[in-house]
Amino acid sequence: MKAILTSEQREFALSLRALFSAECPVSLVRALAEPGADRSISTLWKALAEAGVFGLAIGEEYGGSGGSLDDVAVFYAEAGRALCPTTVHSTVLTALAIDQLGPPAAKAAWLPALAGGSARGTTALYTARDAAVIAPVLQANPAAAGSWRLTGTADYVADADVADLIVVSAKDTTSGQTLVFIIDAHAPGLSTEQLAMAGGHPAFTVGFADVAVTADGLLGDGDSEPSLRRVANTAVVLGSLDLVGVGQAVLDHTVDYTKLRHQFGRPIASFQAAQHLIANMHIALAAARLAAHSAVCRIARGHIATRETAIARMHAATAARLITLDAHQLHGGIGYVTETDLHLWTERARLGSTLGGGADVAASWLEESMDERERR
Amino acid sequence: MDFELDVEQRAWLAEVREFLRDNVTPQLRTELAQHDLEFPGGEVARFRRKIGEKGWFGLNWPREYGGLGLGAVHQHLLMNEFEYWGVPGPDLTVTSVAPMIMRHGTEQNKSEWLPPIAKGEIICAVGYSEPEAGTDLANLRTRAVRVGPEWVINGSKIWNSGAQRATHEWLCVRTDPDSARHRGISVIIVPVDSPGVQIRPLYAWSGYRTNEVHFHDVRVPLTNLIGEVNRGWTYITGALDLERGALTNAGDLRRALDDLHELARRPLRDGTVPAHSTALRRRLAHAEADVEVATLMGYEAASILDSGVIPTVEVSVEKIFTSELRQRIADLALDLLGPDGLLAHRSHDAPLAGKFERLYRAAPLMRFGGGTNEVLRDIIAQRGHGMPSYGR
Repeated sequence: MKAILTSEQREFALSLRALFSAECPVSLVRALAEPGADRSISTLWKALAEAGVFGLAIGEEYGGSGGSLDDVAVFYAEAGRALCPTTVHSTVLTALAIDQLGPPAAKAAWLPALAGGSARGTTALYTARDAAVIAPVLQANPAAAGSWRLTGTADYVADADVADLIVVSAKDTTSGQTLVFIIDAHAPGLSTEQLAMAGGHPAFTVGFADVAVTADGLLGDGDSEPSLRRVANTAVVLGSLDLVGVGQAVLDHTVDYTKLRHQFGRPIASFQAAQHLIANMHIALAAARLAAHSAVCRIARGHIATRETAIARMHAATAARLITLDAHQLHGGIGYVTETDLHLWTERARLGSTLGGGADVAASWLEESMDERERR
Repeated sequence: MDFELDVEQRAWLAEVREFLRDNVTPQLRTELAQHDLEFPGGEVARFRRKIGEKGWFGLNWPREYGGLGLGAVHQHLLMNEFEYWGVPGPDLTVTSVAPMIMRHGTEQNKSEWLPPIAKGEIICAVGYSEPEAGTDLANLRTRAVRVGPEWVINGSKIWNSGAQRATHEWLCVRTDPDSARHRGISVIIVPVDSPGVQIRPLYAWSGYRTNEVHFHDVRVPLTNLIGEVNRGWTYITGALDLERGALTNAGDLRRALDDLHELARRPLRDGTVPAHSTALRRRLAHAEADVEVATLMGYEAASILDSGVIPTVEVSVEKIFTSELRQRIADLALDLLGPDGLLAHRSHDAPLAGKFERLYRAAPLMRFGGGTNEVLRDIIAQRGHGMPSYGR
């Protein structure tokens, strides 16, 4: 046990911070939220691909760098801090899902392009309201020669507009089993419609009208439920680290502002009321950071880690709300006008602590794990 | 970053657990239940001797000072386990006082005090607060004046816990009355049995005993001064950081919550089973999430200490978090148990002999003891984020 980042991880975080500072300015984040924006972010994407971000925890034999989920965690915290566009996250999660769920042949077929950044992906493997709900919303009908036809509608699929492929789960209409497929995002019969969401979050309703999938698009079958839960937990925990990064950025901005802003002839940072709000933000963030890293550590060791995931999300969602809302309070009017940009982090925090489940939903996962422990 | 114990750490934990299984006897439990630590020469004293024989009072000290040379993580795991079992382990003398002697003491200080501390022969009460110097500790007035080969000490200390069991006072005194506040403070070790030391008990709401101690023309050799004269403020602030770290492991919280999960599934006197209530289950889940984080905070602080840094901001966070959590758990317990929770401590009708009835009265202590949480919030803001002092 060594519950602090290694020096390599701290250096990696600093290099990512420099990368984001150069390639992911707030102006880019704002431009992406405009209607009709070009969402390809090609310069940032290229820089991240060169930094190896898309294959951090993917084996070298599949084009990754053979690191661990801990490294992905470091990336997520920096990505949250910099408001990195979620299409990056969607691709990272797609690669992780294929890595966790797929047989070697599928990994060899799909992972090199994703890990190298030449393909983009997204996933629809759990409901956006509650990541523990992994029952498929799509139906898979068997067709000729081991191929399948998918029907149904997946909701709140992130970044489907720029994805090359989508990993989905679907219920086998004959056996009732849960199957997992990799679908070409441009396949005939597949339609995407954007949902207008707070903060311009790029979520889509994806319709499947008899979308054909060949046998090699089948990623997993049979007892995929525990594996799917682990994939969902991975996404929730990494999302919690994004919230930690958001919280850290907001805390830092707020401290800076209170030192600059003078009232009654002194910086407002010198008032104890302000210091105690900052201290509470700091404590909440410390709790969220530790809980998230601990959950990552558990998942990286092959566990489903529902208990740790629940705790990570409960603390991350709580911290993100406290930090962003108290940041608005400490900024006063100047934080409320959009040219200050504070609201961009607040919206990111609200999205991140909703998608997959917030503190209340996560508390129900923890109750579930408490019950399991009692039965043992 | 790694939160799981490695092979060697697991072996250490197993050794500590085996020691506790062998030595936490029914007799020790009975004595602790009836008298806490206040029964001289009994089972607690015997238990302390066994800890001393294992060398565990100096487990994380360097070998040159008679320690075992183990790390802060070892220390933390041991303390956590002792807290879980509810038995006294290494106290502030070894976790807070001794490291300051190693860091700042003269060679004579080290050879005189460290070996007997390691054996458990010297136990210090920590004399910082005074009636007029609590949170504003730098305002302390107890004077030590150099007269020939001795310091002559006059003044009073309050919240001097454990003085009735201590052999010595680790005393913070003003040695230069002309210097302002933080300057002009020194640390002197004073035998409790010195003529002129008078101890008056103060009993707290939880039944906990603390003391007011008066010093009237108490004389000790000049060499009882630790380190350099008038440099004591640096020593005690360092000692306070270590003290907070040592006081704030989550072992007792883990135990309290394990007990509460167990009680929640048993019928109360009116037949109600608390775990059947959705609202109470949700509150238990929140407590569970918080105890887990408190445990992780302890791991983090120990890991930082092992990397050679005193985690001032982190232990402040940990101390605030654990002390407020202890109060929440006590509150949850009494809500969960209803009137059964108010059956008095030590009454045999009470669930767990009234553990939670007492915890409700005991929990307020750590929100202000060891540095008020308000001052610790200032420390987080000022040292963690460079926010300006407001003239404290």
